Amino acid sequence: MVSEPGSRAEVLSASPEARRAGVHPGCALAHARSLCADLCARVASPSQEESAHQALLDVALSTSPRAERAPACTGARAGEAAVYLDASGLESLFRSETGIATALVTRAAALDLGATAGVASSRTLAHLVARRAALRDGPGATGVLPREREREFLSPLAVDWLDPGDTLAETLTRFGIHRLGDLFALPRPALASRLGPALLERIDRLRGTRGELPLRAPASTRFEESCDLESPIDNLEPFLFVLRGMLSRLLARLALRHLACDELTLQLDLSGGGRQQRRLALAAPSTDLRVLLRRLQQALESAPPEAPLEFVALSTAGAPARHDQLDLFRPAGPAPAALDALLAELESLCGNDRVGAPSLPDDPRPGAFAVAPFEIGEQRAGDWADSARLHLADRPERGTPWLGLRALRPPVVARVRLRQGRPAWVQSAVARGEVLRCAGPWRATGGWWSPDQRFAYDSYDVATADGLLIRLRHDWLKRHWEIDGVYD
Amino acid sequence: MEQSHGAILALTGGENKTKIEPMVSTPLVPSGPIASGLAPSGRIRELLDDLPETLAGYIRIGVPEATPVSRLGTGIEALDALLMGGFPRGGLAEITGPLGSGRTSLALTLLAETTRSSGFAAVVDAGDAFDPGAAEDAGVELARVLWARAPALPTALRCTERLLEARGFALVVLDPGDLAPARGRIAFDPATLQRLQRSAASSGTALVCVGNERRCGNYSSLTLRVHESRPHFVADPDWLEGMQARIALERSRTAPPGGSVLLQWKVSPLACGLSVRAGPPGRRGATSSA
Repeated sequence: MVSEPGSRAEVLSASPEARRAGVHPGCALAHARSLCADLCARVASPSQEESAHQALLDVALSTSPRAERAPACTGARAGEAAVYLDASGLESLFRSETGIATALVTRAAALDLGATAGVASSRTLAHLVARRAALRDGPGATGVLPREREREFLSPLAVDWLDPGDTLAETLTRFGIHRLGDLFALPRPALASRLGPALLERIDRLRGTRGELPLRAPASTRFEESCDLESPIDNLEPFLFVLRGMLSRLLARLALRHLACDELTLQLDLSGGGRQQRRLALAAPSTDLRVLLRRLQQALESAPPEAPLEFVALSTAGAPARHDQLDLFRPAGPAPAALDALLAELESLCGNDRVGAPSLPDDPRPGAFAVAPFEIGEQRAGDWADSARLHLADRPERGTPWLGLRALRPPVVARVRLRQGRPAWVQSAVARGEVLRCAGPWRATGGWWSPDQRFAYDSYDVATADGLLIRLRHDWLKRHWEIDGVYD
Repeated sequence: MEQSHGAILALTGGENKTKIEPMVSTPLVPSGPIASGLAPSGRIRELLDDLPETLAGYIRIGVPEATPVSRLGTGIEALDALLMGGFPRGGLAEITGPLGSGRTSLALTLLAETTRSSGFAAVVDAGDAFDPGAAEDAGVELARVLWARAPALPTALRCTERLLEARGFALVVLDPGDLAPARGRIAFDPATLQRLQRSAASSGTALVCVGNERRCGNYSSLTLRVHESRPHFVADPDWLEGMQARIALERSRTAPPGGSVLLQWKVSPLACGLSVRAGPPGRRGATSSA
């Protein structure tokens, strides 16, 4: 992993194979290439590393409710990221401590993370066990250290494993202390006076004699995947390829936590310094990659970014999938889980706010409507009961055929000839001809307090010579006639 | 396997045997109404005699029992009588007729009856023509309707497929958005129709397509044509009272075609006889006359 593109870059971290070839963090990339001809150099992306670290935390939280990120490593281990989790009580779920470690690395591998897991009596010790397993067996290795074998494990390790700073490491080397066993054998007061209390604290943590604060449950459940694009992207197709990868990783992380995606926030950093943020609300929580990708595509196609993209971040809060209890006394409907997937897919096909239950808002404007979330759960039970009560008195009689209306959205503009102030002849894309019968006008006005909401219509029910029964209205503000519906 | 005079002879699999499609459930020796005309003929009897005894228990003869078709009633007695109970669940039906004929009113009547009794319904609206106000006036429980405002017909067909696959909806109404009579080919793609029919059959959903012309061809198990519409105005003052229309049964798999009923669509009392509902917030339904 190198710091920047080009041959002047500095090596930030190296794989065990590269280390064996002599490549070490801090050396120049050109030098590293001279040492290892097959070197594969990748430019470090802090945002992707952050996403990977978060994903590792999700892996930990998928097994234990208490987990947190380890402090960032420095020096030669700067490329390493670790998380701690409280494994106490998990043996009954995973049968053994080895089972816990295996489950962790397996779940990490599902997220394309080559992780190693260590189980020990303290965090620092477990960190060393995992590090040792990685050196010995590579990614995917596990290690479990029983309490009675801790001294045996620690004694032969080099003092570097204690993560001493450069100064302390140099001092220890000058004193001829190379192994942890040598360090443990020294008297504590002498160590404290010569090397400071910080070293004693490290030793105590390693040996588990200093108590550790309990791990916290994470405060935020925001999931984010981000990516620094090596070269700006100005085309939708390659950008969707990038988005697909990010989205699949995001969904895999959500799946680990048994969550679904109910909204998506897309952050785009543009070449030249601009930034856009788009929030997509979904009709129902979904984990369908195809559906979510289509929604993102629709959002990008409807409003393309003005400049090539340099950075993209995709985030969601995560929401539990719905598990509604159906009712014997309510009509059977689609299964809740299937309904969520259905709503998400329909919305991806039809567009935002175009799928749901039709509703009539408290709006005096003729033809006003709204699309409410379509639900079959308990929340709507009260609404139905209320609705049924309210409608008992004024509901149309059952079994009577009621005349329906076919709305025209937007209304079709018409040319109208008047006779004695009433429509006598109509010409439009829908209806044309002499007006045979005409009822009205019925005046509807409102929204006078706002120029945007103001309306004033005179409406007529008109039968035309071509056999149509239309709803014709005169818009007093726009000074024209239009047809907003056909009785059908 | 042999077929003779409508009788089907089939081998059905038993334990540890390769399963051959179980086609009939009537006993080997027919009884009741089937037995009268379907006694095994000489050739079949010979075949049966030649078969090993061990297979005898797996042989059935007779006509597959007709599965009773569940139907969605419209709530209008005359129309339900014409349709032998209503629109078939698990099949495609079409309501055709020119714009203004009353086809939307018929679809709303079916929606109202479905949401009031049978359960949930969906409207796939390629023409963005569904009017929630008119639907509620017709008695539709809006909370039980899933409205998908598809931007184009191909999307509407895809939405319809997904709705049928999801199951749980008693009725799916597909409005292709026809305003004027189409020129050229208007029928849906046969492969799409086949998928729709199969999905409707497996989900037990009634799929009703509303349009100008027939689009489903032979895949439709019921086709109604709405025509001869005539508006009714009350004079002095002029007042729209309703519309009369004739509904003819053009095609049916279960009822003889050719029948028709004359319906009088009325303007809903909720609409107060007026088209426009306007007034201050909180007083929906208030109207003012100029």
